[in-house]
Amino acid sequence: MQMTSEMTPPGGAKVASPVFGNGMRANRLSTTKRGGKLVNDYWADLFRAKEEGKKIVWYNGTYIPPFFHAHDVAWVHGEAWAAYLAAKHGEMPAQQKGEARGYDRELCSYARTHIGQALIDLEKLKNGTLGIDDDDPRAETMRKLPAPDMIINAYPYCSSGQQWDDITYRLFGKKIPIFTISIPLLWGGRPDAGYMQGEEWQQRSQYVAKQLVAMTKFLEEHTGRKYDFDRLSEVMSYVKKAATLRMEAMDLCAATPAPASFFDWIVSIAHVNFLPGTQAIVDYFEDVKAEIQQRIADGVGAVPNEKYRLFFDGMMNWNKVGWLADKFAAVDATVVAGRYTHMSFWQEPQLVDLKNPVLGMAQNYLICPNNHGAPIMIGEIERVCDKFNIDGMVMHASRTCRGMTNSQFLIADSAKKKGRQAMFFEGDVADESFYKDELLNTRLEAMIETLEAKKRAA
Amino acid sequence: MLLDSTVSANPEGRLKDILAKFEAVAANPLEYARDFKRDSGKRVIGLFPMHFPGELAHAAGALPIVLQADDEPVTIGQGSVFNFYCGYNRSIVDQAMRGEFAFLDAILFGDHCVQLLGTADIIRDHLPDTPILFNQLISIIDAEWAMEETQGTFRQLWRELEDLTGEKISDDQVRHSIGIFNRNRALIRQIYDMRRAGRIALTGSQMQHIVKSSMIMDKETHTALLEELVAKLEAAPPANNAVRVYLSGHLCHAAKLPILDLVEECGGVVVDDDLYTGYRYIAADVEETGSPVDALSRWYLEKNKKIPCPTRADKDLDWEDFLLAQVDKSGAQGLIVLMVKFCEPHMYFYPEIKEAFERRGIPHLMIETEHEEMPMEALKTRMETFLEIAKRRVAA
Repeated sequence: MQMTSEMTPPGGAKVASPVFGNGMRANRLSTTKRGGKLVNDYWADLFRAKEEGKKIVWYNGTYIPPFFHAHDVAWVHGEAWAAYLAAKHGEMPAQQKGEARGYDRELCSYARTHIGQALIDLEKLKNGTLGIDDDDPRAETMRKLPAPDMIINAYPYCSSGQQWDDITYRLFGKKIPIFTISIPLLWGGRPDAGYMQGEEWQQRSQYVAKQLVAMTKFLEEHTGRKYDFDRLSEVMSYVKKAATLRMEAMDLCAATPAPASFFDWIVSIAHVNFLPGTQAIVDYFEDVKAEIQQRIADGVGAVPNEKYRLFFDGMMNWNKVGWLADKFAAVDATVVAGRYTHMSFWQEPQLVDLKNPVLGMAQNYLICPNNHGAPIMIGEIERVCDKFNIDGMVMHASRTCRGMTNSQFLIADSAKKKGRQAMFFEGDVADESFYKDELLNTRLEAMIETLEAKKRAA
Repeated sequence: MLLDSTVSANPEGRLKDILAKFEAVAANPLEYARDFKRDSGKRVIGLFPMHFPGELAHAAGALPIVLQADDEPVTIGQGSVFNFYCGYNRSIVDQAMRGEFAFLDAILFGDHCVQLLGTADIIRDHLPDTPILFNQLISIIDAEWAMEETQGTFRQLWRELEDLTGEKISDDQVRHSIGIFNRNRALIRQIYDMRRAGRIALTGSQMQHIVKSSMIMDKETHTALLEELVAKLEAAPPANNAVRVYLSGHLCHAAKLPILDLVEECGGVVVDDDLYTGYRYIAADVEETGSPVDALSRWYLEKNKKIPCPTRADKDLDWEDFLLAQVDKSGAQGLIVLMVKFCEPHMYFYPEIKEAFERRGIPHLMIETEHEEMPMEALKTRMETFLEIAKRRVAA
């Protein structure tokens, strides 16, 4: 999944804005800037973890860090690490290192970045050097990533994610213990199937919960300490509060103009994805919600002159967060919601019973938006689109993330049947070379013209 | 009907006849299946590769066929699947759109390949009247709970097949089907043994026809032909001066025949393989006694020991170790890796293979295959160079 990337502040000159549209820029929530500090604090704590005697877990997949937090081990999310490198413009050496070993560029670019960086680290360990100049801005960051003591994989839906850690395990000579959790697809083929209902849902919830408990045994085995489920409940109490506030704040964006955009939610994902479950994330989302409420009272939107409301489908293009935020603002379009932001990351916090949180956690992992068969997933997308009064769909065909591109044609078809416009653009999660700016410009302009014509006709 | 060819009286002619029959079915699998359904009145159930056993569908009285990529360029399917998906998925979607699968009585899905999961949904959307029995097999085959989970998956499939047919499927019926499938697999393995030992001359394409037709044909009919074939194969050993090569990879679907033919055209001979439309498909048998669900579950969880699969999570087994051992065992002078473009598990594990073979100094050639046209002349040059290197390496 993700981490934050820098957005262009309104009127700021930090990143070149696309030359496109009317030149308006996204009106970013000011709170999210403060949220960036929490992310930086997380990484700083992580880099100190070894010195503090903590065991390190490298993990991939769904948001299982509360299990680690409750057991006082530090955690590295491979996707977040890849995105972190990308944000610091360090992804290219890692991807090149991977490619040099034979990893094809059609593989998941998160994985290629993460594996490539592991290759760099291993070479560094072998040679006693970083292999890059000491004055390279990446050097300090790379020097600090702690090597794993354990590897845990918990990927809903995506086979590629599981295979990624199979390779990480082998890169470290099969000496690091690995634990893999199966989060099976909710196909929804039985007569009683529905969103969070039916026999399959009940069976699979129990199945994943059982594996999560087994994961705590794995943690016990490799730390020599008993797992404290009361502590897990405590950690989850913060996560649940933060997640509830996030969903409430998101729902407020049904207002017109939308006070916050998909891109604000994108830079707030780390907080419910892999940051520690503490009062800090609760405070963060309280602040976000308060700012949104104030914006509604003041009639301020995330886009200065909102005329159209869009839904973003697909994985984020992490190299282009600020760029895309401004691009849509420049055509007076607010990307109000997205599958990635609004249908994941503890989006059903009420399922978590703090007295016995594991089952509800398992259920939140299962309802990762990819992990439903298309009919139920599309039903949920339509529900979100109706809630936020969406005019059109922007489908990001992320080249190396098939987990998110599956069903996109079906999603677009469904949107059209509901009278919504749909357009595709090409890009990728962490490989900028797949992004074609001019194609997006042309298609976005065409969609906006169509939306404008529809509004006039109405 | 594809099998209505005349029967030759002489052994060599009969050998050719049988191989021609296998080739015809392999070339037109859906035509065979449609004819079979029309002539027998039985159901035809499509299976997706690579891990779902056909035995249960067979025991339910149906003809199970492994759905194959076809040779048609992807056209109408472009509107439902991205061009950065593997050729198998794109071809399957295209065939579904063209209505090729409409005659199927059901389709069984069971894999966790992320691309295949997308295809499953597209097929569900486009064939709303075709029952899809979706039962996902656990991919972490060394998990503590893998056996229990696999048993549950097969029990569920068993129930769904009973619902589909409206008839109970007994343990004895399943055991009987297992026996039929085992006999078929054993005969194909016997042919592999003969080829590995240099006793017979079968090209890569001919071996593919044998295995691919086994994925399609009524098993007992196929087995009867195999029995004849085995008896008649001994007569034609391969040329002594050919470079012995091992073919690896090409998961889920059959490699294009012109690529396989290049091996022989350039002076090589295929002595063994781990291709899915090859030895991988017939490597492991199912126990014929005891609980069929338990036997099928053990088959599923243990077949990785026969040939490691990059789509399964298994801490102990490594594909490259297996390949090195098999190259030694078969006396191959080089390894040709056939990698389907966009096949993620293969892309992940290929560097492990490459490095292992480089460490051992065994020549290997990686060929990325595509559904659409391939640059055959350039490929031929690469193949010739590779075989020359392999030959010289042996001579050195």
